[in-house]
Order: sequence, then C-alpha cells, then structure tokens
Amino acid sequence: MSGTSRPRAQVPGEIGIWAFVAGDLLVFSVFFILIAFGQKEMTDVFSTSRESLNLYFGLCNTLLLLTGSWFVAIGVERCRDGQGSDNARWFKLAIGCGLAFVLNKIFEWEAKIGAGFTPLTNDFFMYFFIFTGIHLLHVVVGVVVLIFLLKVSQRPTLNSRDIRTLESGGIFWHLVDLLWIMLFALLYLL
Amino acid sequence: MDSNTQSSHKSDGFFRSALAFGGYSGYAAIILFIIGGVWLGGMLPPLLNASDSPAQVVAKVSDNLFAIQIGSIFLIASFALFGSFGAGMAMQVRRYETTPGWSYIQLIFTAAGTTLALIVAFAWALMVFRPETYHPSIVLMWADLAYFIALFSVPVFGGWCVMVALSIFFAEEGNEPFPRWAGYLNLWMVLLFAPGQMIMFFKEGPFAWHGLIAMYLPFIAFFIWIGVMSHLMIKIAKEESE
Repeated sequence: MSGTSRPRAQVPGEIGIWAFVAGDLLVFSVFFILIAFGQKEMTDVFSTSRESLNLYFGLCNTLLLLTGSWFVAIGVERCRDGQGSDNARWFKLAIGCGLAFVLNKIFEWEAKIGAGFTPLTNDFFMYFFIFTGIHLLHVVVGVVVLIFLLKVSQRPTLNSRDIRTLESGGIFWHLVDLLWIMLFALLYLL
Repeated sequence: MDSNTQSSHKSDGFFRSALAFGGYSGYAAIILFIIGGVWLGGMLPPLLNASDSPAQVVAKVSDNLFAIQIGSIFLIASFALFGSFGAGMAMQVRRYETTPGWSYIQLIFTAAGTTLALIVAFAWALMVFRPETYHPSIVLMWADLAYFIALFSVPVFGGWCVMVALSIFFAEEGNEPFPRWAGYLNLWMVLLFAPGQMIMFFKEGPFAWHGLIAMYLPFIAFFIWIGVMSHLMIKIAKEESE
C-alpha cells in the first residue's frame, strides 16, 4: 500500500476534526456541568434515581465502546502502516460493537420506560434520557462513519487522503468513546 | 481550499458580486435579527416562557406590543435573507461540480429553511397583531408555533449544514468549494441544533423552548454559522477579484 511511503504525520487526521472534537467536548462539558449542578441541588433525587439504573447495562456499553475503539485503532494503524491484507475486518468488528451498543441502549431504555421512568419523571431521568440520547445519536453517526471507513479500508491501495479519512473517522469514534465514559461516570457511578 | 483552487476557478465580476451579495446577506440577516429578535422582539433572550399561562403570555405581549410589532418587521427581513445567503453557498458549490448535484440539494434545503424561518416571523407578528381580541390560548399558540418551527426543525436546518459539509468532503482533494475546516464546523452545528427537538417534551428547564440547551444553544449556533459562512463567501469573492 502506498501508506507505507507516506511520511508519518505528527498529528493524526486533520485540524478540522480536532476542532470538531474540541467543540463537541465544549458542548458536552455544559451537559456535564448541568448534571453536576443537579447532583448538588437535588442530591437525594439523584442518588435514589441512580440506584434504579442497572449498572450492568452501563458497564456492558462501556466495554463495547472501549473494545470498539481498540478495533478501530488496530484497523487504522494497520492501514497506515500497510500491514495485512484484510484490515477491513477490524472495522467490521468495531461496527458490531457500535450496533451492540445501540441494541443494549434500546433494551435499557425499554426496561426503564416499562418500569415507569421517563424523561418527565425527575431531573435525573431528564438528563439520563436526553444526554444518553444525544450520545446515542453520536454512536449512530459513528457507525455510519465506520461503515465508510470499512469501504475505504477495502480499497486496493490507500493514498494519503484515504489515510487521513481513516484517522479522522477513528478520532471521531474515540470521541464517542470518551463522551460515554464521562456520562457513565456521572450517571451511573457518582 | 488552496491557491490552486483559486487559479483553477477564475470567476467573472458578475459572479463575484453575486457571491459577495450572498455573504453580505448573511451579515445583514444577523444584524436584522439582533435588532428585531434580540433588541425589540423579545425572541432571544425570550420574553416569554414555555411554562407561562395564556394570561401571562397576553400580559407580557401587551406590555411590549409596539416593540415586538416593530421587531417583527425586522425579523421577517432578516429571515428572508436566508434565501440569498443559502443560494450564495450553493452557487459556490456549483462551480466545483461538473454535473450539478450537491448544489441542487443545498438549494432545496435553503428554500425549505427560508420558508420555515419566514413562518416563524409570521407567527411572531400574528402573536402581537391583536392579542386583546384573540383568545389567550391562541396568543400562546402563536408563540409555541414560532419556537417550534425555529427549534424543532432540526432535520431541515441541520440537514442544510450536513449538505454543505458533504459538498466539501466529497469534493476533489485540494479543490473544495470551502475550506475543509468549514465542513467540520457545519457538522458540529448539527450537534448544536439537535437538542432543539427536546422542546416537545418540556415546558420548564434547559430543554424547554426558552431553555439554555434547547433554545439559546441552537439559536446562537445558527447565527454564528451564518456569520462564518458569510465571511468565507465574501473572502472568496475578494480573493478572486485580486
């Protein structure tokens, strides 16, 4: 692959994706602050509501995203270094993790709504459904991005633009992972 | 976009004037909104509250009747300019296409976004047309309608940004209609608009139509987006005339 002859960039991807990451982190920081304020103002409501969450759903989703990120990192690295002949499989595995996350989240929401908890129940569940919903939107977009990366990785030769696309897409998936870890800590563990 | 782009897409003065017009339309839309929506109209920050009773809405509107009426005139002028602003971006994309594609899709989103924005201004104007005659719940409904059309239309305004982003990312390497960072900016905007759909579920708090996340964030992001894309259009027009 032509990727082997490409000089290693110091910063993966391109400046735009890093600006996007910074911007998204900025917005989610506001969300995190809102949860923290809620926790401070309504400690009892938040603690009681948190106890009704199933930690295993959250833990399972954390592991799925971390594993998915690992697959993406391997796939991007191998494409960049021109290693192997079937690098697409790493992206297929990551897509599988992403889809499993979506499925798991649907089951979790279904269980919560079935038990009578909705975004209107209290502020904790408002934040729970909306912020995990916005994150779920990120996951769905991330899966679409991974499908695109899968197609790119299947090209017979990869030029510098392809490598940049793979790196940028990978960075987005890692962002999805990072955001979830913060949400998991604030909503399930605090 | 690099210097090769500039040299390979020489434009005539007629086109450059139209592109700059698109950019200045965006600037004008921002200024008119600040006058009509922020200063006079009470749209942002919101004079009204999603949890206000119909009687409270009528009282607030009646107390600020003339200012909101004048503000509505500025608002509709601001929103009408979305058309030439969006057309400017589509024109710039069209120059980079052999066969028209993304530019047409952008035009459709421009038309839809402009139409929706105009309905926002109509609803805002009707809210202050004769609040003393309408049943109070109808006055409240005009306010609901204005904010719902502005904020709940994420697929239209967000879709518009996605189409601009895709036209950048799918362009030939080094031959993009706008800088690649603008593509990422457009995608980020979609995420900022997205919480607007939460207004369906809440009448209080940050996700109501007067709230920090569902209202301030999308509104401010939208006008920043207009400002940045307008700046790029004017910059391109100026650079190509040199």
